[in-house]
Amino acid sequence: MKRLWTTFRYTFINLRGQILGWGLGLGLYGLMIVPMYETFAGQREQFQQMIASYPPEFLAFFGATVNSMLTPAGFLGMYAFSMLPVIIGIFAVLAGSGLIVSDEERGRLDLIMAHPVGRSAFFFGRFLALLAACLAIMLLAWLGFCLLLSGSSLGVNAGQMAVPFLSLLAQTLVYAMLALMLSMFLPARSLAAVVSGAVMLFSYLITSLAFMDERMATLAKLMPYHYFQTTLSIQELNLGWLFALLGISTFMVLVAWLRFFRRDIRLNGEGSWRLSFLSKRKRIA
Amino acid sequence: MNTNQVVKSSQDVAIGVHGLTKSYGKVHALRGINLEVKRGEIFGFLGPNGAGKTTTIRCMLDMIRPDGGKSLLLGLDPQKEPVAVQVRSGYLPGEMQFFDNLTVERQLRFFRDMRGSRIDWSYVRQLTERLDLDMKPQIKNLSKGNKQKVGIIQALMHRPELLILDEPTSGLDPLMQQEVLGLLRQANAAGATVFFSSHIMSEVENLAGRVAIIRAGEIVEVAGTESLTRRALNRLTVRFKTPVEPADLGKLPGVEILSRTDGSSVTLQVQGDMEMLVQALGCLPVLDLETERPGLEEIFLTYYKK
Repeated sequence: MKRLWTTFRYTFINLRGQILGWGLGLGLYGLMIVPMYETFAGQREQFQQMIASYPPEFLAFFGATVNSMLTPAGFLGMYAFSMLPVIIGIFAVLAGSGLIVSDEERGRLDLIMAHPVGRSAFFFGRFLALLAACLAIMLLAWLGFCLLLSGSSLGVNAGQMAVPFLSLLAQTLVYAMLALMLSMFLPARSLAAVVSGAVMLFSYLITSLAFMDERMATLAKLMPYHYFQTTLSIQELNLGWLFALLGISTFMVLVAWLRFFRRDIRLNGEGSWRLSFLSKRKRIA
Repeated sequence: MNTNQVVKSSQDVAIGVHGLTKSYGKVHALRGINLEVKRGEIFGFLGPNGAGKTTTIRCMLDMIRPDGGKSLLLGLDPQKEPVAVQVRSGYLPGEMQFFDNLTVERQLRFFRDMRGSRIDWSYVRQLTERLDLDMKPQIKNLSKGNKQKVGIIQALMHRPELLILDEPTSGLDPLMQQEVLGLLRQANAAGATVFFSSHIMSEVENLAGRVAIIRAGEIVEVAGTESLTRRALNRLTVRFKTPVEPADLGKLPGVEILSRTDGSSVTLQVQGDMEMLVQALGCLPVLDLETERPGLEEIFLTYYKK
């Protein structure tokens, strides 16, 4: 346990800059967005006319209608939460893909693993640090969205505001763990980041396009973003969706751990930088 | 053959490796390595770049998983009990990278924390003083030699029973090389087994009691350093008071004439016992003779010429 804790502590400390950067950034965005609703509510008719002038496809892309846009939940959903999984997804993809492999690519992992840590304690120490970092970012972001809530006519309290952040956390974890898992299989961290980033954007686009074109609905159901519950979750959180995303993340963590536990620790220049399943291995009897 | 029967976990053996194989695609990096290092000895692992030294070491330490064979360190299987092995051993990788933004002291404290054991920090200070390493600068501002010192200190800081060092003096100046070799002798005197790889012959000759030579993923020789040098070819140059015909010398067993100068001198290469040659020279008007003892380097090269 002590070995896991040491790895956790050092990894979390290393992530502090990213936690502050992303958490405070999102928090400041919340501080800006919440008071904006007063302007929005004060000029409701003008906004209604403006929104009505938007192409219906534009609103549909964000899963909104003219009427829903005028509600507090619709406002927050459109201007804040609809894009947050993609924004925080950048952190998820970079942090997940580099969690272990960045040290490996820089040639540090050999020396770290020469210490009595053990692969499992090392892996889970780092994973828990990433999980804690995601939680800390969500907490800072949530605080930013809550600070000015009391003076706002949004009609949402701090507890209710926490609910979409839970769903956002589940989204973040899915992309982070996808990137972590891919980094264990693919020959380079950058490739894992690119592939998981592409999955994230594809998921966002397909889900959004499915609002406009029903033929995409089936495909959209396979995408993680489809299960993101924006401000609608304030009224009713779909726990099934939430736990499904957390379950998928857990599965990917376990696959990544198994792979890390069994594979070679790579040094630059060694053969394992190739995709192992593409190269035929000649074993010596 | 059952490898379990071959690899002994006897208390006398610090490192037991049998039939270790490792391939990367079509490249056979290790072709059945067999090694046995006794507890308390200093063992040199010689080979040029790419011979398989680092791969052997990384297999032994469970950094990479061998395709076949087995190794035991201090009687423990590193694949099954890696933590127990790492608690009792210190490792210096051949290629090292640290956390560049940390100072030397914070980096060493990180390694101490990763060890999770009570490390005598005053001993770490002693080591830094002995290696003339300042603890204040950031790692990124250190020279290659100073980074090597950080690596050496982290390997020694917990006074391990087994030291596995991949080219320990790489990047160090000659004075510091001697200091490091002194530290290793001291650790050995305190009971540690030292296993180190190198391609610097003089270093191995000075430090190691026994040597293994690896070539293209295979161990081609394991022997005591002295016996290896003794077994090698001696070179002998004889000068005569008056010109002689030395052709008969070349007919003696194990003797080959390398060069001759008008019968006034001859250079011979002798393998093994010199008794018959000395007797033959006793009948000739010898002015002086000079023998040249080969170094490990020459022996090493003979293996690579084969």
